[in-house]
Amino acid sequence: MYEYFVKRTGQALFTAFVVVTLSFALVRLMPGNPADQLRGQLIRNNPSLSQQEINRRVANYINIDYSAPLHEQYLDYIAGILRGDLGQSISQNASVAEILGQALPWTVFAFSVAILLMFVVGIALGSIMAYWEGSRFDVGTTGIGIVLNSTPNYVTALLFLYVFGFTLGWFPTSGHISSQVVPIVDPLRPVATFQFVADAVYHASLLIAAVVITGFGGVALAMRGNSIQVLGEDYLRVARLRGLSDTRIALRYVARNAILPMYTGLLLAFGAVIGGSAILEQVFTYPGLGYYIVAAVEARDYPLMMGGFVLITLAVVIGAFIADLTYGLVDPRVSTGGDAS
Amino acid sequence: MSNTSSNLHERQSGSSTFDSQSSDEDIVLECRNLSVAFEMDRGTSRVLHDVDIDIRRGEIIGIVGESGSGKSMFASALLNAVVSPGRTDGQVTYHPRDGEPVDVLGLDKGPLRSLRWEDISMVFQGAMSSFNPTMDFREHFVETLDAHDYDIAAGIERAEELLSDLYLDPQRVLDSYPHELSGGMKQRALIALALVLEPEVLVMDEPTAALDLLMQRSIISLLSELRDKYDLTMVFITHDLPLVTKLADRIGVLYAFEFAEVGDTAEMVRDPKHPYTRALLNATPNLDAPLTEMRPISGAAPDPVDVPTGCPYHNRCPMATAECEDIKPPMDAVSETHEVACHHWPDVDDEIPLSTGVQK
Ligand code: SF4
Repeated sequence: MYEYFVKRTGQALFTAFVVVTLSFALVRLMPGNPADQLRGQLIRNNPSLSQQEINRRVANYINIDYSAPLHEQYLDYIAGILRGDLGQSISQNASVAEILGQALPWTVFAFSVAILLMFVVGIALGSIMAYWEGSRFDVGTTGIGIVLNSTPNYVTALLFLYVFGFTLGWFPTSGHISSQVVPIVDPLRPVATFQFVADAVYHASLLIAAVVITGFGGVALAMRGNSIQVLGEDYLRVARLRGLSDTRIALRYVARNAILPMYTGLLLAFGAVIGGSAILEQVFTYPGLGYYIVAAVEARDYPLMMGGFVLITLAVVIGAFIADLTYGLVDPRVSTGGDAS
Repeated sequence: MSNTSSNLHERQSGSSTFDSQSSDEDIVLECRNLSVAFEMDRGTSRVLHDVDIDIRRGEIIGIVGESGSGKSMFASALLNAVVSPGRTDGQVTYHPRDGEPVDVLGLDKGPLRSLRWEDISMVFQGAMSSFNPTMDFREHFVETLDAHDYDIAAGIERAEELLSDLYLDPQRVLDSYPHELSGGMKQRALIALALVLEPEVLVMDEPTAALDLLMQRSIISLLSELRDKYDLTMVFITHDLPLVTKLADRIGVLYAFEFAEVGDTAEMVRDPKHPYTRALLNATPNLDAPLTEMRPISGAAPDPVDVPTGCPYHNRCPMATAECEDIKPPMDAVSETHEVACHHWPDVDDEIPLSTGVQK
């Protein structure tokens, strides 16, 4: 177990290191060197600046001092990231860390709710489908699931936005809270906290619905397949003969063994969906991580863009890392390092 | 000879077997006209056909048959556990040590649930996959005791004793997960789990099939010890005739979904009367030889949808006559403890000499 932990931690750290290095290399290699471009911009806007001042500002923005030798630039860049310094945004007039720090919780909130719902709905449907394998419900849900699962979520998102947002006016079409609501989470003020959370959910509901509708089908189909496999296992037959109650068999035998293989998928889904958050947040004008990344791309705000990329990639790495480490807790077969027989 | 005599026998005994005629015998499971059928597109598949047999209290009976002879169905039918859409007909009567006989096939869900495992227990083929992979062994025992409202503490003590009877370290096994034990250990843990509710009868379907030869032999000897210690009746189902001669008091040979021959082990080994039993024994040059050396019997196993008329063995039998093709041979008594379903059994000694020189 200890060895496993060390190995996985090492792998995660290595991946993170590769990601950060790649992002450095990308900026260095990007056509139309961002530093030159920024320099040009600064000179155009304030022609009176001295060369030194311009260099200082460029270094401040990009977090890379172009006049230093390459390895020094690289080390500075890494050191900056370790300190949480991702540079200064060009378009937003704030530090990159600050912008992303504010945006990230909203993305995590909206997409966590969406992914959890997606898994809950998918797992429930999948088990019912498996129990009624071959029924009209099973066949119908399988068909619907496949169709929805192959629809890109931004298509559903646009449709929802048009129908429920603009035409029917049931849901807000942008933002993450109403302007009059105070963002507060304080157990001493339950009413205000509740108002804030409810308002946040309300604003995120179309986005959540778009993710759930296009995602639950895949989960349901996976759950259905796993459950059917478990239902055919010898140990299930033995459990029935031993006279165990149907509830115990459904939960402790079928559900547990069918959901287990999907656990890793759940954590990886966080990474994947947050990575794909850009389009959805753009559609719903939801100021989260993805929204700022798109904004940064449009404004050629390299520091913000890079910061966003690094953050998202790290999120995926961390998700996979947590999945790896905790899988041993939920599946006894992993903790001893594989199958003995 | 036996046209007249066998017809006579048929008339007088009807569907009851020779065994049940002696009234002083202590029968624990009584099967009459036991049949299992599956409806299929191309017709009804009869995978067990009108089987009559009595299983005596305290004996180990070996049921031998090729794959596809109906032996697994026989095992499941004893517990009324044939998987749907299979249909079980006939009668299985369980005679508890004290109390009224129980009609196993007529039981409702609740009583059936308690009969299984409390009175008649079963060890399946495939012990490797008989345990929930995400649960340790202790929980398997606890949930079984719990489902049958047994006292958990006393039950776990019994489980520990059973496990040590089976030469396992009880604490280690109880705290292990299925993947942490070897195949042989899992097999023995499964036997302990099957006995934890103190059943009277233990039905085992190919319990040693996946094990190596050494492990097979050691489980065989453990089973005899268990039978003596816990007064068990065992039904041991296998395709491995040499193996079962080491263990069983009686042997029944299944061919084409019914019994071809039933008798005491000694008689069955030394002087079997059915041509099929002889073929099985002759296919084993040495009863102590590993099964891998066994030669297959020529001809194909019969199709359950289309069982041959007359004697089901006639198209593989070297002694078959016209009579065999038309008339189904009834069970005929060879001795008090031995019966056979063959028209020409008295001639078998001349026609098919036994090539095994091994005495039991
Ligand atoms: S009845 Fe005839 S065919 Fe059947 S086993 Fe006896 S001799 Fe062979």
